[in-house]
Parts: sequence; structure tokens; C-alpha cells
Amino acid sequence: MKTQGLFSKSMLGVGLAFLYIPILSMVFYSFNNSRLVTVWDSVNSPTVKWYVQLFKDRQILSAAWLSIQVAATTATGAVILGTLAGLVLSRFGPFRGRAFLQGLTTAPLVMPEVITGLSMLLLFVSLEQLFTAWFGWQFDRGFATITIAHITFTMAYVTVVVQSRLAGFDDSLEEAALDLGARPAKVFFRITVPLILPAILSGWLLAFTLSWDDLVITQFVSGPGSNTLPMVIFSRVRLGVSPVVNALATIMVLVVALGVVLSAIFMRRQEQRRKREEQMAATG
Amino acid sequence: MKPAARTLGSRDAYGRLSPLWIFLLRYGPPRWSEYVVQNWTGQRLVIAVPYLWLLVFFLIPFLIVLKISFAEFSPLGRPPYEPVFQWLEEGALQVKLLIGSYVYLFNEPLYVSAWFYSLKVAFFSTLFCLALGYPMAYAIARSPPTQRNVLLLLIILPFWTSFLLRVYAWVGLLKTDGLINQVLFKWFGIVDEPLAMMNTSFAVYIGIVYSYLPFMILPLYSNLEKHDNTLLEAAQDLGAGPIKSFLRVTLPLSFPGIVAGSLLVFIPAVGEYVIPSLLGRTDQLMVAKLLSDEFFLNRDWPRASAVAIAMLLLLVVPIMIFQRFQNKELQAARK
Amino acid sequence: MLTAERRTEKKNKDEPWRDPHAEAYVRIENITKRFGDFVAVNNVSLKIFKGEIFCLLGGSGCGKSTLLRMLAGFESPSSGSIFLDGQDMAGVPPYERPVNMMFQSYALFPHMTVEKNIAFGLEQEKGLSRSDIATRVTDILEIVKLGPFAARRPHQLSGGQRQRVALARALVKRPKLLLLDEPLGALDKKLREATQFELINIQEQLGVTFIVVTHDQEESMTLASRIGVMNRGEIVQIGTPTEIYEFPQNKFVADFIGSVNMFEGTMIEDLPDRVRIKSDDLGGVIYVDHGISSAPGAIVYAAIRPEKISILRAPPADTTENCVKGVVKEIAYMGDVSIYLVKIDTGKMVRVTLPNIERLSDDERILWDETVWLTWHGSSPVVVTQ
Repeated sequence: MKTQGLFSKSMLGVGLAFLYIPILSMVFYSFNNSRLVTVWDSVNSPTVKWYVQLFKDRQILSAAWLSIQVAATTATGAVILGTLAGLVLSRFGPFRGRAFLQGLTTAPLVMPEVITGLSMLLLFVSLEQLFTAWFGWQFDRGFATITIAHITFTMAYVTVVVQSRLAGFDDSLEEAALDLGARPAKVFFRITVPLILPAILSGWLLAFTLSWDDLVITQFVSGPGSNTLPMVIFSRVRLGVSPVVNALATIMVLVVALGVVLSAIFMRRQEQRRKREEQMAATG
Repeated sequence: MKPAARTLGSRDAYGRLSPLWIFLLRYGPPRWSEYVVQNWTGQRLVIAVPYLWLLVFFLIPFLIVLKISFAEFSPLGRPPYEPVFQWLEEGALQVKLLIGSYVYLFNEPLYVSAWFYSLKVAFFSTLFCLALGYPMAYAIARSPPTQRNVLLLLIILPFWTSFLLRVYAWVGLLKTDGLINQVLFKWFGIVDEPLAMMNTSFAVYIGIVYSYLPFMILPLYSNLEKHDNTLLEAAQDLGAGPIKSFLRVTLPLSFPGIVAGSLLVFIPAVGEYVIPSLLGRTDQLMVAKLLSDEFFLNRDWPRASAVAIAMLLLLVVPIMIFQRFQNKELQAARK
Repeated sequence: MLTAERRTEKKNKDEPWRDPHAEAYVRIENITKRFGDFVAVNNVSLKIFKGEIFCLLGGSGCGKSTLLRMLAGFESPSSGSIFLDGQDMAGVPPYERPVNMMFQSYALFPHMTVEKNIAFGLEQEKGLSRSDIATRVTDILEIVKLGPFAARRPHQLSGGQRQRVALARALVKRPKLLLLDEPLGALDKKLREATQFELINIQEQLGVTFIVVTHDQEESMTLASRIGVMNRGEIVQIGTPTEIYEFPQNKFVADFIGSVNMFEGTMIEDLPDRVRIKSDDLGGVIYVDHGISSAPGAIVYAAIRPEKISILRAPPADTTENCVKGVVKEIAYMGDVSIYLVKIDTGKMVRVTLPNIERLSDDERILWDETVWLTWHGSSPVVVTQ
């Protein structure tokens, strides 16, 4: 038992090191004065000049702004559609096409992005042709197409999160509300949603991150002039390392780390308060 | 006995609309459809919204890809393919289906080697990911509850940072003058000359394992966490040593987790684009890069579509296995 | 002094089911529920009267919960009708029925305080002002004795308190019918007993009709004005607790409620006012002092409750009938009573319960392996034919 524990524990350590060393090295090298990034210029480093350059970089800033807008819209849309899908699949009785819907909602989880990207682009092209032929409209791919594509693949994740949360508790609470006179829509908004709110929130964050980070699908469905941050980063790094990218990476890592730590603290506090209250009830 | 006021003669005893009313709904004045919408379609509407979205934006695109994969490439056209369905002046529908693209895919050595290479890379990456991820998940599942949450957080945190940037980080590590070579070559002289690690299969393996590790660990962890410890104790009480009880009790029970994690890594890895682009070989490509090149460089949409369909067919079986497992997990959670 | 007329009136008021002209409050007519091939409820018909506490009693899978859910509106019957206060409930969804349910798991909304939980149902009703709602909530909290806990949340309450919130939440809507699904199942024994009486008091105070579903026969015996015993989707017997216990109509009911000694036999004397049964199970003759109706030559079963059998250490004067010899094989001391398992000559084990009235010394007490004689009165056996 001991040896077994030792082996897996040391693998855990190795694994964690494996996970974090690349990230830490990126952060480290963002302060390196040398353009070569990994060759430490001990004379002029550490420096923040790359950060300064980052904030002057128009292309990156406008791409970041577009990415934020797309990600926020995507997350909101994905949450709405994904929650509905999750609700339908876990609470509604059997209906025709249920298994098919289940398949449709989980397929994007594993579908390679080149396939999804290509197929959505071809859809948009076909729609373009249709609209031009029927209405004489011309529309360019851009914000709308990227957002629609992102919503489509991120809602799968939201559906899974919401579905597993709903599966975790039975529907007696919702039945009780129905029994007390509330119509189904009211039950959904006043009982179900508050109860799955943590799942909805983490679904939102998940969809945001996935959209913010997406490259392949975006490359397919974006149009001229709509460059998201991952597209800009990718075009820069395929030519080699770029210290400005290191600076950007460091900022993102910090933001994420901060967010994760804060939410962990918040959740811990909530757990502790809850435990205290339950103890009070048992004795009082 | 008079029934309750709700029935208006339009429903039978259980509230189902009679066929007459269904007819009237479709062709009748809006007032009636309003009544039905209020009382009957509530659930249907909720089901319809995500369903329609997915049908239009997920399913139909696949059908379009399928259609175009049979089209003829026309290099100067906008879009660059001949229409598959065409209405001729005589009022007839012309359907032109070419399987040339598919034939090409299975004959052209570039493609054939790409298929095999992609499968090989995905397969071994999954194996390595499993080899590293399983002990990690195991260690987390066995650690005390307070530590467990911290560890899970640590595993998830890289996932929330950009996938692209993390792959980029490996560029910095694996380059000829990257950190690893600096440590091995410049600082400690462990090797005589810098290792060429960039643009190799090795780099791709590392990239995939690195990026997909959380996807392997989480399903494994969620399975292992549910294991009843007393089962192991019972096995040991009956005389099985630690290794044997692991092999005969823990491992078989963790099988669903292994399958779920492996599929979550393998399936997307086959179609992985970013990692081979940044870290992979230039002489041997994976299918995703081929698809992208056919599409963006050659503008050969029919061929690109054929690649997509072929990839889909290749992965259909693993995808269905994955979905089966997903369903089982959800059903089990319901109990 | 009650005249005969007055006596009939009073009896009808307390026991409306005996009055053939009484109008049933809840009418369940030929209800059947199928899930695929499986028949959960099979052609059940019931009449329940206003102000009753009616208990549906049965083991798991007998269909009682399904029947309850059909009353609440969560399942619709495959065939048959349910009438509540004269109104057909077909197609009426749960949120439009004048019925409320107290769920087995209580189903309290965890994100709302006790007050808001109880007020929720009232908020769904039209025409109630905020102050009306507040008053009614306060009143019901008084009735269930939870006044000081109004601002707490469910996880801050003990199991018994949560149960009372669930009850209050359902009762505050003044439903015509209250359905209770295993209301006392989650409580410990002492709490259960106390709560049983509280439930009855509240019911009498408010006059609401209760339908309780339970598998616990003690619970049903305490709570119910009438019990409906269910087995495999059908109602096997309806009656007051006394009727069910003392006069079971078949083997299932006799065996399900309490313990019983069942002796199979054939009739050797069948008269309007007495019956004699020869039983090979017993190895003797059973004399019953009332007549029964059965086909001639049919096999019958004599059910004798353990508390109705006496143990004698010496043979009684008349050993020809209602008497059997045996050896004490097991004694279980339960404090208030002792249970004896006596093996008779035919090999059958007879269960006898004796109250521990006196503290006896060792030679006075009945001991293991002692040869004893069991007797019972002619009125004790209940004869059932199925």
C-alpha cells in the first residue's frame, strides 16, 4: 500500500511540474530583455519593456477587444441554449427525437475543430448565396458568424454541466412547486434556476474561456477585418517566439490564477458557513 | 357529472387535442393558435429552441459538407466548385456527383500516410496521457478531502489559461536555444550538442499530452473518487497484496473512467491542428493540416470536404462509444 | 341519554362510510395505471369522505405511491376517473388542483427561508394581498409550533422541524385534500409517536381530509380513520384499524398487519352460529363461535393472533378443541411483552405474546424446552377463505 501510494504521489508531483514548468518559463522569459526570448540577456534584464510594447500594440488590443465581445456574447447565448437543452434532457419525459438531441448536444464535445469549422463556413457560404439570390443581401462574415459558430460548439459544454447538475437531485422540489400552484415556467425561474445557478455560472465561464481561446473554428468562419486574439497570436508565433506574446501570456495567467484563487476562497467560506449552520440546527 | 371547466370539447379526457383541432390550428385564425400556444406548446417550444439551433447550425452544415464533397472543383469559381444540384431550363434537375475527391484521398500517398500518421500520433498520445494521468488521478482520489480540492484546482488552472499560449510555451522550451537545451547543453553539458526537439513527432506527443492531460485526469478522477475503499480492504483481508488488489479490484472498476478519458483525448487528437502546426514535422503532416491547406491554400473545397467526411467516418465509431458512456454516467448519477 | 335516532346520527358523523346516502368527497373509480406492460394500479375504486384520515397501506411496489401521484396530478391514469368534491380531475394539472402534497423527502426549497417556503404556495394564488399572506403564514406557523424558526433556512433545521415546515406549507393553502407520502418515515421512533398524535390533532383542528401513504402498519393503525390495504396494485381490504386487525378478510391482510398464526384446515361442522375446522397444521380441531360463509368442502384458514393465545403449564380440562401441546423453543423478552415460539407436534411454530404482568421467579416463569399447552377462546380465530 505504501509503495503504491508513493508511486502515484511522485507521479502526481512529476505531472504537476510538467503542467506548470512551461507556464512558469513563459512568465519568466517575459521579463527577458533579449528578443530571442529564451536566451537570457543578463545585462539588460529583467525589464518590462515588452509589457509596454504590448499595450501599444494596436493589432493585439483591437483583437483582444473583439475576442472579449465575442466571448461574452457567446457565453450568454451558450448558457441560454445549453441550460434549455440540459433541462429538456434531464427533466422532460420521453419525446420523439430525444436520443437524437442527446447525441447532437454531446457530439461537439469531441468533434475535431477542423470539421466543425469547415462545416459552419460552408453553411454560412450557402446562406450567403441564398440571401443574395432571394433578398439581394450581401453580408460579410465577421462578428455574427464567429459568435454563432462559437455558441454552437460551446453550448455542448454548458449542456453537460447543467445536465449533470440536474441529474444530481431529483425533481421532487419542482414537483412540490407545481403542487403548490406554480405554473411550469414559474417553477423553472423561481426554483430550478436558483438551484442550478452555480452550474450555470461555471457554464458561462467555461463557454467564455472556450470562445476566447478558440483558433481553428474562428479561422474558418471569420471574415476580412475580424481578427480575434488567438488568430493574431497564432500568426505571430508560427514565425517563431515573440516576447510580446510572453508578456500577454503572463497577464492572462495572472488574471486566471487570481480568478481561480478568489473563487476558491469564496466557495470555502460558503462551505464553512453552511457547516456551522447545520451544526447549529442539529443541536439547537 | 359535468367535467371541470377546462375542457372545451376540443380535448379528450386527458387533454390531448383532437385531430380536428390540430387541423384548425394549422389553417385556422390566429386566435386558436394562440390558445394552443398558451396551453399546449409550452414544453414543445422549450424543446424546439435548442433543437432547432443545433439542427440548423450543427447538423445541416454536415450535410452541406457531404454535398460539396461530391462536387467538382472549379478553381476560378466563386465559390470554387460546380453546383451539385442544378435546375436546367428544361425543368429537369441535374445532379452531378463526383467521387474523385474520395478516390484521391485513398490513393494519394500524401494522404494515406497522413491518415496513418494521425491515427498513430493520436493513439500513442492517448497512451502516454493515460500513463501519466492515471497515477495522478489516483493520487488525487486517495488524498484527504481538503488537499483534494486544492489539487483539483491546480489541475484545472492550466486549462483555463489559453490553449494556444500553453502550446507556444513548449516552443520556447523545445527550441534549439530553448530552456531545455540551455539546461542540458549550455549549463550542465549533459549532451554534446543541442537536441533537435522542435518539429518532431516527439514534440507533438508532448504537446498533445500536455494540452489534453486535464481531459484525461478529470473523468478518471470522478470515477476513482466513487470507489468504495472497503472493497480494497476486503481484498487485502482475503490475502491479496497491494499490487494484486489494484489489478483485480481498482483497475477493472475504473474502466469506464479510462474509456471516457481516452476517448476525450483520442478523438480530438486525430483532428488536432494547432499542435502539429507549431510543434510538428514539416515533412509528415496530420490530416487537419491537409484539410486546412486544401481549403485555404489550394481553395479546393470539394477535396477539403471529402477529407472532413472521411475523418468523420473514421471517428464515428469512437464518438458513438463515447456518447454511450456519457449516457451511462448520467443515468447512474440520476439514481 | 342518546336515543336510537341520535345514536345513528352520531355514528354517521364519525363514520360516514356506514351511511349509504353519504356523498363521497373523493371518488376514485376504476383507476388503472400501466407503465408499458407493467400494471402498477389495477382497477382501483375507492370512496373517501370529508374529514377522514385515510391510509393506503402496503409494501413497496404495491401501487400506493402511484395512486397518490395520480391524485396529485403528477401521473395521469391509463383509464378510470378521479372526482374531487364532484369535479372530474381528468386533464387538470397539479398546479390547478385543490390538492396539496407533503413529499416524503419534504422537498423544501433550500434557497428560501421557512417563511418564504410556506408563503410560496399562497403567492401563486390570485387575490391575496401581502398582509393576508403574512397573516396566514404566521397562523400556520403557530399551529405547527414553529413560530421562532420563521427566518431560518431548511439546512438550519432538524429533521422533525423540516417535516413540520413541509406540513405547514401544504396546509396553509387550505386544500380540499392533503396527500402525505410516508410522512413519518424519516423520523426516529420517539419523535414518530409524538408526531403521530400531533398530526391527528392538527387534522381535527383544521378539518382537512388526509390521505396518507405508508408501509408502516403501526403508523396506519394510529393515524387512520380507515385503512385501505394494497397489494400488487389492488385494494385487498378497506376498513377501520380495528376491522382490519380483528377481521382480516384474506390471508394477505391477516399476515400483513401484525403477526398471526395461520392454520390450514377443512370444515367438519358448518352451522350459522358456529364452525369446527379440522386442521392437520394444528393436529387438532378449531372451534369458532361465529358462522362463516364458504363453499362446502373448501379449504379455509384460521388466523389466530399471538396475544389471543394463552400458555398453560398443565393441560386444561378440555383438550379436544382449541388446544394444542408444544415445546417452548424461543423466548424473546421485549420489556412490556414476551414473545414465545412454541413448537407443536406437527412441527409448526406457534407465536404467542404474553404481557409481563408480574415479576416472576425462576420456577414460576416459563422456560425454554418446557412442555406447555396453548389454548384460545372460540371468538379468537378469524377464518378466511383465500
